This record gives sequence, C-alpha cells and structure tokens, in this order.
Amino acid sequence: MTKKIEEVRHLGEKKRPIAEKERETYDRDYSRYAFSYPTDKYKYVLKPGLSREVIEEISAIKNEPKWMREFRLKAYEIFLKKPMPTWGGDLSHINFDTITYYATPTDKGARSWEDVPEEVKKTFDRLGIPEAERKFLAGVGAQYDSEVVYHSIREDLAKKGVIFLSMDEGLREYPDLVKEYFGTVIPPTDNKFAALNSAVWSGGSFIYVPKGVHVEIPLQAYFRINAPQMGQFERTLIIADEGARVHYIEGCLPGGEQVSVGDRWVNIESLKPGDYVIADNGEKARVRATMVRRYRGEMLTIKPISPYNAFRLTPEHPVLVVRRSRVLQRRKPRNGWLPEVDTEKLFTAQPEYVPAGELTVGDFLVFPKVQAHNYNPRYSPELLKLLGYYLAEGSAFIHKTLNVPVVSFSFGTHEKEVITEVCDLITKITGKDAYVTELKGRHAVNVTVYSQELFDVCTSSCGTGASSKRLSDELMALPPEQIEPLLTAYFVGDGNVCDKGNSVMYRAATASETLAQQIQELLARKGIYASIHVRPGGDDTINGRKIHRKDQYIIVYTADKRWSEIRQTDRYFLVPIKEIERAPYDGFVFNLDVEGPSSYLVRGFAVHNCTAPIYSKESLHAAVVELIAKRGAHLRYTTLQNWSNDVYNLVTKRAIAYEDATVEWVDANIGCLTADTKVFLNPRGAVNITEVKPNDWIYALDLNTMEIVKRPVKGIVCTGVKPVFKLITENYREIKATANHPFLALYRSEKHWHLVWKPLEQLQVGDLIAIIDELPPKEGKPAEFVRIKALEPLGEEAVYDIEVEGAHNFIANGLIVHNSRLTMKYPSVYMLGKGARADILSVAFAGKGQHQDTGGKAIHAAPYTTSTIVSKSVSKDGGRATYRGQLVVAKGAHHAKSNVRCDALILDEYSRSDTYPYIEIDEDQVTIGHEATVGKVGDDQIFYLMSRGLSESEALSMIVLGFMEPFTKTLPMEYAIEFNRLIQLEMEGSVG
Amino acid sequence: MASTLEIRDLHVSVEGKEILKGVTLTVKTGEIHSIMGPNGSGKSTLALALMGHPKYEVTKGEILFKGQNIVELEPNERARLGLFLAFQYPLEIQGVPLGRFLWAAKKALLGQSQDGQTDKKADAKALSQFRKELQEKMKLLKMDESFAQRYLNVGFSGGEKKRAEIVQMHILKPEIAILDETDSGLDIDSVKIVAEAVNQLRGPDFGALVITHYQRILNFLKPDYVHVMIDGRIVRSGDESLVHELEAKGYDWLINESKAEVS
Ligand SMILES: Nc1ncnc2c1ncn2[C@@H]1O[C@H](COP(=O)(O)OP(=O)(O)O)[C@@H](O)[C@H]1O
Ligand SMILES: [Mg+2]
Repeated sequence: MTKKIEEVRHLGEKKRPIAEKERETYDRDYSRYAFSYPTDKYKYVLKPGLSREVIEEISAIKNEPKWMREFRLKAYEIFLKKPMPTWGGDLSHINFDTITYYATPTDKGARSWEDVPEEVKKTFDRLGIPEAERKFLAGVGAQYDSEVVYHSIREDLAKKGVIFLSMDEGLREYPDLVKEYFGTVIPPTDNKFAALNSAVWSGGSFIYVPKGVHVEIPLQAYFRINAPQMGQFERTLIIADEGARVHYIEGCLPGGEQVSVGDRWVNIESLKPGDYVIADNGEKARVRATMVRRYRGEMLTIKPISPYNAFRLTPEHPVLVVRRSRVLQRRKPRNGWLPEVDTEKLFTAQPEYVPAGELTVGDFLVFPKVQAHNYNPRYSPELLKLLGYYLAEGSAFIHKTLNVPVVSFSFGTHEKEVITEVCDLITKITGKDAYVTELKGRHAVNVTVYSQELFDVCTSSCGTGASSKRLSDELMALPPEQIEPLLTAYFVGDGNVCDKGNSVMYRAATASETLAQQIQELLARKGIYASIHVRPGGDDTINGRKIHRKDQYIIVYTADKRWSEIRQTDRYFLVPIKEIERAPYDGFVFNLDVEGPSSYLVRGFAVHNCTAPIYSKESLHAAVVELIAKRGAHLRYTTLQNWSNDVYNLVTKRAIAYEDATVEWVDANIGCLTADTKVFLNPRGAVNITEVKPNDWIYALDLNTMEIVKRPVKGIVCTGVKPVFKLITENYREIKATANHPFLALYRSEKHWHLVWKPLEQLQVGDLIAIIDELPPKEGKPAEFVRIKALEPLGEEAVYDIEVEGAHNFIANGLIVHNSRLTMKYPSVYMLGKGARADILSVAFAGKGQHQDTGGKAIHAAPYTTSTIVSKSVSKDGGRATYRGQLVVAKGAHHAKSNVRCDALILDEYSRSDTYPYIEIDEDQVTIGHEATVGKVGDDQIFYLMSRGLSESEALSMIVLGFMEPFTKTLPMEYAIEFNRLIQLEMEGSVG
Repeated sequence: MASTLEIRDLHVSVEGKEILKGVTLTVKTGEIHSIMGPNGSGKSTLALALMGHPKYEVTKGEILFKGQNIVELEPNERARLGLFLAFQYPLEIQGVPLGRFLWAAKKALLGQSQDGQTDKKADAKALSQFRKELQEKMKLLKMDESFAQRYLNVGFSGGEKKRAEIVQMHILKPEIAILDETDSGLDIDSVKIVAEAVNQLRGPDFGALVITHYQRILNFLKPDYVHVMIDGRIVRSGDESLVHELEAKGYDWLINESKAEVS
C-alpha cells in the first residue's frame, strides 16, 4: 500500500497548462465516480497524514507559484506550533495523521493511462468513459472531492472586470492579485485551524470586483452536485474594491421528481433529512441530506418503454444502467434496428452508474423491485380479493339518511361470476348478506353491504374516492405471494383482459395516480413490468351530458409474452431507453444524499446519490472565508444552510471594512439537534444534558490525577441528527452516543497500559472504559474502569454536546465522555476605517429536538463606525435558539454606534430562546443599544388569519414567514421562495 | 336560493362568564340587518362567536349556516362556507403584505393549498387577475395602491384598518358578512365610502349583519331589520324606524324594559 502512494507521488511534478478546449472537460465533475471504489482501495490514493511532503505535493499537483508553496509550508510550521484553540471544544482527539488532505485519487499526476492505478482504470472501464477522456484524465487529473466546479460568470460581468473563479483558478490566472490579499484577513497565525487551512486549502471561491463596479445579480457558487459539505479545506476570498458592490451567496438549500419511499412515490422536494427512500437494491435507506441548486443548462428527459415512467435529470447525474454496447451480440445490427442484445451477457452484466448525458437509446435502465417481506395474517386471501374488487369497482360511504356505513360494488350485468364471488366473499368476511340491486337501463348491478367492519378495512387500507384510492403501507409491505389475490381481483374487476390468441393483455384504468404507481410496483415484484399511459382528462360529452373527466392512468401488461425488450433478474428489471430528449432548463434541481447504497429511485428507476459519502465520518472541516470591503464598498455574504452544524465546524469567517465601507453577513440556519443524557452539575445534581447552561459547574475527570473535579461549562451545543448507539457496561451503566463520540478507554499493549480516547465505533465488547462508580460524583474520587457488556445501534437521534472549560470531558450517565463538538466561529466584521458599517443578520429556526446556536461579532476599531447585529429566531416544539452577539469597541473608536437586536418568536410554551450579548467597550463616546423582544404568536392573530380562510398551520407559517421577512427580503427571489418553502415544511404538522 | 344564517338560542361564555344569554336571529342573503346596543352588551361577542373564535365558547344553542350547524367548525371552514367578519379591532401582522395575504386567503377559499401543485400558467393568470381586482377594490375604498405592499394593518390608522377590512370583504366575496363597528372611528366621508362599498355588494347573493352605535352609516345602508342587543339578548327588533326611535330615546327605555321582562 505504502509503495503505491510513493509511486503516485513523484508523478505529480510537472504539469502542462490546460488547453482551452480541454477546460470544458476539466470542469466536469468526476467525483461521483468515487462511489465505485471499495473503501479500502480508495484509501491508498487518499494518502492520509500531513507532512511537508504532502503539502509540497498538493502545491505541485496544482502547479502553484513558489510563494504559495512557501505560504503553505510556513502555515504548516505554524500549525505544528500552535496549540489547540480554546474557543472550540477540545480537539485533541483529532488525529491529523488519519485525515486526507487532498482527495483527488486519480489525479496524483498520473500522466499516461498506464500510470493510472488499476483500480481506477477498472472503474473507468465500468463507467465507459471514452478513450479521449481517459487520456485527458490521465494527463491533467480529474477533479475529485476537494475542488469546486464553477459556473461561468455572465459575460457582462466579465466585461466589467469582475473576476469570479474557483480559488484554484484564481491563483492560476491572477497570481498577483491573490498574493496581495490572500491570508491578510485571516493569517495562518490566527488559529490552529486557519493555519491548517492555509497549509492544505483547496477549492473555494475567488471574487474581485473592481472600483466602482456594482454587481447587480448575486454571485452564487453552485457547489458541485455532490457533497456541498465536502469543501473540507476550502478557501474563499472576496475583494470589493473602492465603491464596489457585490452580494455573494453561499447557498445550499435542501429540496422535482417523484421518488419512491416504498409504499408510494413522493415529490423529491417534499423529502426531509431523516425520511426513508428506496435505494437501488430495493431496500429502504435513510436520507441524510436533501439539496437543491440553481441549474441553468441542458435537462434530459429519459423515456423508457413506459412513457409514464419518463424522468428528467441533469446530464451529469449518474443513472444505473447496463449499457447496450457492452452486451451486444456478435451479429451485425440489422439496418435501422438497434443492435441486438446477447441475453446471456445482459444477465451477467453488472449494472453501472453512468452520467445521464452519456446514455444512448437502447441502454437498459434498472428498475429495482422493491423488496417486501412483511407477511401479515390479518389479510386473508378472501379479504385481499375483496379489496382488489373494491379498488376496481368499490365505494365506501356513510349512507346519508340511514347514517350507516356502506360498502358498495358496481359491475356490469354480464359479470355474473364476479357478482356471485363478491357476494360470497362479503358473507365470508362480514357474516352479512349483500344486497344485489340491478340498475335497470344502465346494465349495471350494485352489490351493497352495510358493514362497519368492512367499511373500516376498505377505507383504511385502500382509501375512498376514485382519484384518491391507494394501498396502505401495510398492504404494500406484504410479500408478493400474499398480495397476489388482490392483484388478480383488481384486474378482473377493473380491467379488461384481452385474449389475443397467443398472448393475454391486461389493462386497468384508474383515476388515482398513486394507485397506478402502486399497481405497477406490485406487478414488478412478481416479475411483470407493466407500463402506464396517461389519458388526460378534460371536458367531454357523454350521452348529451357535459362531464368533466379526470386524468386516467392506464396500466397495461401482457402476461405470457411480456415485453420482449425487457429482461429481469430476481431483484430488478432492465428496461431499454426508447428516447432521450434534451431541452434547456433554468430553475432549481433537487438531489438527495442517501445513506448506505447511495442511490434512490426516480419514477421507479435507480439513480445515484449526489454524494460519495467518503468523508462523512470524522472529517475535519476547516474552511476560511476572507472578505475585504475597501473604501465605500458594499459587500454582502449570505449563507443558507439547513443541515447539521458539522458543516460549519471550524469555519473561520471574517471581514474587514475600510472607510465608509459596509459589510453584511447574513446567515440562515434551519434544522439541527437532542438527548436525554443525564449529566451531573454542582449543585443542581443530575439533569438532562439539554438543561445545562453556560457557567453551570459540571463534574469532569482530571486526566493527570484521574480524579473527579468540578469545571465550569462553556457552552452546550447541538451537533446534528446522527446514528446513535447504546453502550452498556457490565455494571449496567448505559449511555447513548454517536459513533464518533470518544470515551476514555484503558488498553494494554505489550507490557503497558494506555489511556486513550476512543470513539465509540472503535470500542468492543470487553474493552475497559472509565466510569465513576459512585453517583452523584464527589470531587477527589478516583475514576474506575469497567468492561463493556454490549454495544447496540439505536437508530437516529439528535445529539448534544457540552464544552467544558479546562477539561475536555464530562461525566455523563456515570461514564466519562469526551466532548466532541467543535464550535463554529461566528462570522465577524472588523471595522478598520472611519465610517465603516457592519450588518450581521442571523436567522435561525429551531424545531423539535433542535438547538440552534448562532452568533455574530462586530469589532469597532475606527471612529464613527456603525454596527447592527440582528438575530431572528423561531422556536417551536421544544426547540431552542441561542444567539451570541459579541460587540467590541476598541480604544480610539469614538462615536461608534452599535445596535444589537434579538427578536425571538416562540410558538409554544415548550420552546425557548436565549441571547447572550458579550460586550467589551474601551471607549467612552459610544452609543450602544441592546434590544431583545420575545414574541408569542397570539390566538387572536391566528384567528384573524383563519377567519379569512387559512388553515391553522397556514396561518402559523404566514406569521412565521412574516417574522422572517426582514431576512427573506434580502434574498434573491428564487432563494426567498425556496426559504419560505422550507419554513413551511418545518411548520407542517406543528399544529394539532 | 337564498343562504341563511340562523342563530338559535345562542349562549356564549368567555372565560367562564356567560355573555350571550340566548340570541335568536336569522339573516338571509339579500337582507341587511343591523344590531345596535350599548357598549359591553355582547355585540362583538356575537360576531366573534359566529366566526368561531376559540375563546368564545358556545354553551347552548345552534348556529346554522346553509342548513349546517357550524358550531364545531374551524374559522377557516366557516369562511369557506361564505361567512366573513370585518373586525372591530383588526390585528397587525408583521412582515405579511396585505396583497400577499389576500392572495393566500383567496386561494385557500377556493380550496387550493399554499404550495399545491397547480397549473403554473393558470396560476399566473389568476394572479394577474387578482392584482387587477385588488387595485380596483382599493380604489373603491379610496386607499392608495401602496397598501397592497404594506404589512397587514401594521402602521395603518384606525380608519385605514377599517377600510382594509372592507377591501378584504370585497375580494373574498362572502355570502353573509358581519361588520363589527366598521364605522366607528371613521370620519363622515369614510363612512360614506364604506357604506357605498357595502351597498355595491348588495343583492340577492349577499347579506350583512352590521353592528354599529350610530345612525350615520345606517342612513346610507338602509337596513331591512334593526335589532337592539342589551346584556346578551336581543330585546327589540324592528325596521329602520327603530333606529330613529333609539336616536331620540337612547337605550335606557329598552334597558328598563328588558329588566322588567326578566324580573
Ligand atoms: N376576550 C374577552 N375576555 C374577557 N371578557 C370579554 C372578552 N370579550 C368580551 N368580554 C366581555 O364580554 C362583554 C361583552 O363584550 P363585547 O361583546 O365586546 O361587547 P360590545 O361589542 O357589545 O361592546 C363585556 O363585558 C366584555 O368585557
Ligand atoms: Mg364591540
């Protein structure tokens, strides 16, 4: 393994410049291919660990100027010397040697295809990347996880001299400009992580706006479709020259296609992190993050045999397919026909992910069969049969005058056998006799029964109303053999079964879209690929009467012949692409980050995740954002995020505002964390971790003496919704913690015992970990060690962490645990010139089990400077919002004015909001205002809005959105809409 | 066919205290009823209870609207049936522009959810129609167009709030509207503007229950029926002439009379 690393390393020396023609390809995103690496294989290219050599190599790969290499190396020296920062949680458990600092596996300078490691070649082969591209890849190196692909800036901007590039490109193309400013706002000496970033940075944005130029449209870095949080060490530098104006949006908003969630399909944008979808193996997988981005470019519509199952995606989105070119027969293709496929080859071919843009007509899409195996004895074959008839021809309602529940079926007069069967089934199931009434003149027969029991079963498992019938989760989870009678009855009841001699064609029509999808799904599970056609509804005239017809979904399949072009294995169908349509598109596109199989189903077909979840664990995010607003410039930086705070960790964001310049930081945080862990406080005793407040005294372990000590709490923070495990000790102490939460463990290696902080996932049953035997803890008592009895996964939970002053552990549930949270650094503005302005606006939404911890910092270092720090938070369902506003007025900054304003909107009595102003003032002539309002939504307001027709939750979201309006109106329209949609999503179900 | 709001022996309590003590009243579309009465007699209570304010508990009696007992319905469901209340004290909602709010309300009344999947083109067309209509209605109430962009009632003067209520009524087109002291705090010109706006809706498909203290607005509205509420009961009903009688005699004679009745 080591050998290979070296081999790769010295290949990176010389680089040829990228030719214009190749640039296009260069900018493409190859990171998605990373999924196909087995993790252990992937590592050998990742080359973990940090050393002078690694840094030199990064610099060489990037072909950087000498000064940058020296800058990196110097930063590395500083990094080594700097102590761990005190503003974060303790970081001593981070092992810098296990981190990968530059992740471009194929790119380590391999200049010819031969040099490309075998593993990578295999992947490329599987991906079917064209030869030309392979050559190119070999020559220049693909962009993997660390770099960001940038959209081109609009031509008029370019004309005005605005530079908007990735940081890497910026350095290549404008080395002098970069040299002048790089690291001037946040020098490597600022803190250990700024030093680290300076040493190994990669990716990020570089923006320069020349004097007096106003950029009217907000500049947005569309992070690559994969893993927006992967900019591990990204570096952003924005310079607004004198009198310039610019707004930059660092935006990753979560989010349409229809995605399978098992029992039905839902719109992709309605999914939230934590929801489950079906992955390419037909099993459920959890959504880790949802994202949306603005997309301007070509949009593909992939049309399989069943036109209804056509779906749209962007050209770079990987789709699971078997390429036709790979499974051809040797025979020459007949004229005008697609080359014929060797079935043998097709079956043995391993499906692969191919970017949609590279697909061709005839390639086989993969339609996984959703796996269902929950046999349920409640559903007898008779009942399922009757439900099948109900789906086809039944209705359930409460009889108006009699006020009794009725289930009724209508058939044609000629369907004698069916009528008899339904009557029998009804009697068997309900013990009651059905009434059969013939509707004269309409050649129809009604079969009716008054049965509460049947009414309940029908409505709860199949719904009511022609267009809203659907199968319940329970029915959809039944194994194929069990559900069979329902399907048969459904087609007998509704469909027309058309015997064409050698093949029987089944057809059924329904006004319920969901039902059509479900039936297709059920057929798929038993090995039948049915197609769906849509017959659009509209106004029509039947027998002289005007009627409005709803859209009809027609499900068609041929039983014995089957689609000659469709093949199946036991887990999926292979469905050929009939047509690929390309059209320009401008709007939002959505994507999901799904755990495990990293894929999901769109209209039944498997597509790949946005993310190659390679660094999802234990990765260190140490970004640096530097903003410089020169005299009279106006610079706004907006961050929108709605996933866990991991992404934020250790990001150092700072701005400098010179004379009369204005810097605005706008930050929005939606979504984040919880726990019922008990910690011991003095003197309050055992409390839930969520009850801990800064400056409480907490018990911790002094690692030198191994005795219990009391330490003040610096803060409590949420760290995300994560998989949680339960650890049980032999003396039955239990604690729930995330996989990476460190515990104090005692290990024996050869002759010595070692005390080590070990993340839970590395612990094993039988390992010794530190505990406090006697509870509540007493100062001066020693720690003891006990063996782990069990470790069990518990699923997902929001988790909290505590920062402890002077100790980096605390006692939780009697166990000694390390604190793991790394505090974000809040955005700050240094006002260095007379008349400079800082506006920091932070918006947070804390829902159930969430704790939002946000803040901002304004430093007045010149006279007549003005700052406003505004925080707006909404908390509901027990959510908690904390805001830390820090204000510093240095000596000499006379006539500084500052206004700190915290508005909180609390939607119920369980939620809370806290603000912590930290104010340091070294100057007398200053005006400081501090205001805090806490609003509660009143019944009267809700009533007022409801009296106009809004539902309670609509009224609530309207009030919340109104409260957020000062923030929303700073956003460009499409972001504002998206933000509002998110809030509405959060507000749903908050009522009743 | 006329729609009917039929109040039968309505008893309403607020925080355990009985305010309405048996109100019976029927309002049909095509009719204008007026309720007058001294302060604190329960007029607003009646209005809020009819609209379904959660604090106003119906302890006895029925409210039938279009033949359906609406006592258990949510305020928005009542609105969807065609009921509207112009508030005596309209509420201020920060950050929600009047126009945006009304558009949401209108869509809700039409049964479209906020972000439901609607036909985009049709939606855009409906929106531009709505904008035009809103402009017209604001003109009718002599309100500046800019009010559409202003946050709902925030910083509106008393009179502007009341006129905005009538704009809302015009946009939402209820079958039965309850106007709770819409004329209070308005100067004589504004009263006229409001009255004319109400009169414009008048017709076989619109009915109103106008709560007021003053004759002024009634002179413009010419109610078909006039009721006097005292201490949670309707003690006298009559035609427009009752207004003049009240003007001349005040409420005292009725108060004394009603006391006599009770004892
Ligand atoms: N929300 C409330 N809480 C407590 N008392 C109320 C409330 N609303 C009305 N009341 C009481 O009910 C009585 C009738 O009030 P109201 O209906 O407003 O009278 P009107 O509108 O006729 O002036 C008054 O005594 C008033 O104090
Ligand atoms: Mg009143």
